[in-house]
Amino acid sequence: MRYLLYFLQKQYIYFLFLALEAISLLLLFNNNEYQNNAVTTVSNRVAGSLLNMSSNVSEYFSLRRVNRILAEDNAKLHSNRSEAFYKADTGSFYQNDSLYKLEYRYISARVINNSTNKRNNFLMLNKGHRQGIENHMGVIMGNRIVGQVVSVSDHFCWVMSLLNKDSRISGKFKKNNQLVNIEWGGGNYQIGEVKEIPKHVVIHKGDTIITSGNSDIFPEGLMIGTIDHFTIAQEENFNYATIRFATDFNSLSFVEVLIDMMRKEKEDLKNSFKSSER
Amino acid sequence: MTIIFLKNIGRFVFLILFQVLILNNIQFGGYINPYFYIYFILLLPFETPRWLLLLSAFLLGISLDAFTNTFGLNASACVLMAFVRPFVISAISTGTEFMVGHSPSLKNQGLKWFAYYSIILVLVHHFALFYLEIFRFTEFFQTLLRVLLSSVFTLLIVFIAEYLFYPTEK
Repeated sequence: MRYLLYFLQKQYIYFLFLALEAISLLLLFNNNEYQNNAVTTVSNRVAGSLLNMSSNVSEYFSLRRVNRILAEDNAKLHSNRSEAFYKADTGSFYQNDSLYKLEYRYISARVINNSTNKRNNFLMLNKGHRQGIENHMGVIMGNRIVGQVVSVSDHFCWVMSLLNKDSRISGKFKKNNQLVNIEWGGGNYQIGEVKEIPKHVVIHKGDTIITSGNSDIFPEGLMIGTIDHFTIAQEENFNYATIRFATDFNSLSFVEVLIDMMRKEKEDLKNSFKSSER
Repeated sequence: MTIIFLKNIGRFVFLILFQVLILNNIQFGGYINPYFYIYFILLLPFETPRWLLLLSAFLLGISLDAFTNTFGLNASACVLMAFVRPFVISAISTGTEFMVGHSPSLKNQGLKWFAYYSIILVLVHHFALFYLEIFRFTEFFQTLLRVLLSSVFTLLIVFIAEYLFYPTEK
């Protein structure tokens, strides 16, 4: 017993090292499960308020560009107003409530922290639970995708950007609806990878890839990017291509969080299907 | 003693803020991301007890993790670096006694000593950090490139800081 104590006393530094490493690695690899625990909520609040202050200063530098984007969006919205259409029959513009239900609501949020130079990139937004944001909501800018919400506190949320090794977007070719998967392989933040392109699909440079709507996160038809290069595989069953993202991740300042008004209904349906399978 | 303590706490806060507010926003082609905040571990005094070395490195890493939503990533790399530090010091020691209350510095230990010291420790930290971040071997050489390029930039800032802030320390 005395020898054991002596041994522990002499070697305590190794045990301390192993204990601290174990704690950090546990935190690292269980990050997804503990996302909304007390530790992250508190640290989100502290980190959030500091990053918010820093972004309050730095956003002045991008005002010119933000103004331009807003003006473009305004123009687009104006062209969608009913006054912009030729009125042959006023009745045809009446939106019947039982036919058109609001499916998605958009919440505008400011990006207060962003990175593109790491292998796993996250954004922090200045909206949280109080504004109705929850996990797994999609984040877009205009009609281009940005990422999905992975962690929420009262006033802030972390968004896993498309530039992350865990990010996997279900997309499709706009021209023929062929499904593909889009990932990011690190390095250049403008270029991603398109995987599992079926061999029979003819690829051209500049083909547009849009979201497929198969996941619960993004609706169909959002812009992901255009094909940049492609290789025709000789032995494998799938071709491979690189994609140039439509979103400029390095200059995000205002984004929109998509709130799916029918999400509960969709989830209930999925759950009832699962329970009936059993 | 208290002064050394306060000095190190001040350095801790300053380096975290510098890393989060400035260095994390630097963008060089997606490969280079200097992690200058580990300068804190490099500069802890020689006679710091090893448990304090490990604990302060853990706190440093976990504080930075809070700002990048990567809990445990920087912490584990920093703890490893702090664990290795005494071995590195004894391995490259020149035999001369280090003065109590002094930090490793370019002026006191000389360019050759400090270069060995900082290059080994920065490489240990960056290797752990980047390979843990990826955690797969498919991008092995790409990650190696990131490790080496980022280490060069971190070391560059470390040496600039040495020449800027400690020019006449005796």
